Amino acid sequence: MIDQALILILSSVVLASTPLIIAVCGEILTERAGIVNLSLDGSMLMAAMTGFVVALKSDSVWIGFLAAMIVGAFFASIIAFGSIRLRQSQFAIGFVLTLLGDDLAAFLGQNYTRIPGPVVKHFAIPLLEDIPVLGPIFFNQSPVVYFAYILVGVTWFYLFRTQPGLRLRSAGERPEAAFARGISVNRQRYIYTIVGGALVGIAGAAYSLDIKIGWSDGHIRGFGWIALAIVIFGGWSPIRGAFGALLFGATKALATFLQRRFPEVSVVAFNAVPWVLMITVLLLVGSDFTERIITMAPERMQRPLQRLLRISPPKALGSTFVED
Amino acid sequence: MQAIFNKYPRLWRVFNLLLPFLATLAALAVGAVMLILLGENPLAAYSALMEGALGSTNALADTLVKATPLLLVAVGICIAFRGGVLNIGGEGQLVVGALASTVVGLAFPDAAGVVVIPLALLCGFLAGAVWGAIPGLLKAYFNVNEILSTIMMNAIAVQGMNYLLRAPLIDPVQLESASRIPQTARLAIAFDLPRLIPTRLHLGTGLAILAAILVYIFLWRTVIGYRIRAVGLNPHASRYAGINVPRYIVLALLLSGAFAGLAGAVQVYGLHHRMFTDGSATGFTGSAGFNGIVVALFGNLHPLGAIPASFLFGALLVGANKLQRVMQVPSAFIIGLNGLVVVFVVSSEYFKRRWAVRRETETIEKVPIASEAEEMT
Repeated sequence: MIDQALILILSSVVLASTPLIIAVCGEILTERAGIVNLSLDGSMLMAAMTGFVVALKSDSVWIGFLAAMIVGAFFASIIAFGSIRLRQSQFAIGFVLTLLGDDLAAFLGQNYTRIPGPVVKHFAIPLLEDIPVLGPIFFNQSPVVYFAYILVGVTWFYLFRTQPGLRLRSAGERPEAAFARGISVNRQRYIYTIVGGALVGIAGAAYSLDIKIGWSDGHIRGFGWIALAIVIFGGWSPIRGAFGALLFGATKALATFLQRRFPEVSVVAFNAVPWVLMITVLLLVGSDFTERIITMAPERMQRPLQRLLRISPPKALGSTFVED
Repeated sequence: MQAIFNKYPRLWRVFNLLLPFLATLAALAVGAVMLILLGENPLAAYSALMEGALGSTNALADTLVKATPLLLVAVGICIAFRGGVLNIGGEGQLVVGALASTVVGLAFPDAAGVVVIPLALLCGFLAGAVWGAIPGLLKAYFNVNEILSTIMMNAIAVQGMNYLLRAPLIDPVQLESASRIPQTARLAIAFDLPRLIPTRLHLGTGLAILAAILVYIFLWRTVIGYRIRAVGLNPHASRYAGINVPRYIVLALLLSGAFAGLAGAVQVYGLHHRMFTDGSATGFTGSAGFNGIVVALFGNLHPLGAIPASFLFGALLVGANKLQRVMQVPSAFIIGLNGLVVVFVVSSEYFKRRWAVRRETETIEKVPIASEAEEMT
């Protein structure tokens, strides 16, 4: 029924969304603790470049991923230090780091652009890949994709079903209350900013070592911002965030598909589609729009719809907390 | 040091104003250590940088030309920041402003410059305003995060520019030739902004300084400006004071975009005399939309502070080129140096605040008579 070409497209959508899913999970951890890591675009580029170069020199993709993690964590630690210790605007620091990361990655990596390097080997999961339709789409992928699946589940479970997760969220929601309960708010924030940054680093390396096969700054630039938008779209929940990432990947694939079907329409129109779509989505999700739609729905449906659609950022997101 | 400042409060204010420059010097000192590690003579390097930026009339003019769009963007960013919103869409607003003004110039090739230039600058200003107002409306009425929406508006503007410059607006000469470079025809020479001296320095620089002064007056000496700042400081209190908060959020982003749009128009009429693209925004803007934010932060988010800040960054950018040509210093060093300057300035703010707190506590500890006596001196 479903033809082979469609399965191929869908499996490529899953692959293309993987780095976004990983980055979104990392950023959700950070933002749930109350810090915004705005440097995503820059730190992902730096991580992608470092990961590729290290993997090329060491001839091991895993060492490359490790290096990328360190770079991501380093960028995040600057933001944590700047906002917690120096009490500067997280947005300003994050933004400056974005610019720095973008430029630095483009410069330092200029000798390594568009050259072949090591890539992650694909690995079909035995049994699961034989499931019709779903198997080839989800389980005939690279290990990085499987890592993303696990990460989404683990992040969700950690955030909403464990004690450390509760402490994490308390630091982002009600820092004063958390502090009164004996939780070191700023330590929580340091830890999860850095952990989140390390995941963002993995996401960057996933581009250069898996999806894009090789390093070139032009191909990765911009995805960090998309990831930040998806965090909001996903209502700071890893599962919804993962769906958001897949949705974005699907629209991109659709745009490419339509472009082939309608060659007379300018390429530019299709290139702009995902961005316009993201703004529209942010508009729909972030506003009273959803509230209005929910009240239009039948009485019985309102509560579940509200749970499904309503999003609210962590209350203390982007604020600084002074312990005394 | 504390004692001196307590004795002379005015000195403290002067020190506050000088702090960014002291921080810059500190960053340059760290840069010197890096240069030594690279095996270069830091004194020679910095003198090459200075000479490249300020050494001759031409160099100085180039610095000012480079500083002009930075200043215009930064002035707009100040309005947005003071209104409590972050405008990261300078790149897109600059591109849209440049496009709109170019269209005006292309549409009336035979009109008089006196008519076309102001009209084109106005159109650039308005186009930027529209591009800034969209995220403003989204933020004010639909609670859409302005950081993300402005970034996306950048991407949309770039796509629009690529489309327009490859098809409808392309230079007829390029259309004939095989290369098809995506750029418009050169605008009529009558439309060039007047040049002040026989260098590349054009009237736009004066316009930018004028804009900075006007925005200062607007923000601190008018009711609307006061309301923008009030909304930025405390939206809740402003609401209870009867200020229509969403309206002023839109206005802050609208004006912010407008000045970036004007920067685009000035770049077209003062410097490039045509619009071109390399596929990304930076080809035309030279990242002025982003660097303007850094300049604004450097200038303490004050329009008048942005004037020296933009000059400094213009000098760093122009000097860096020279440094690279003369000494083969890797350009990563310059990027790093820029970053260092920003980091130092940002963290100097922290020390300033800490000193300010200590000063206050020390003043309070004194008996009232002593503090009165201090005021009298």
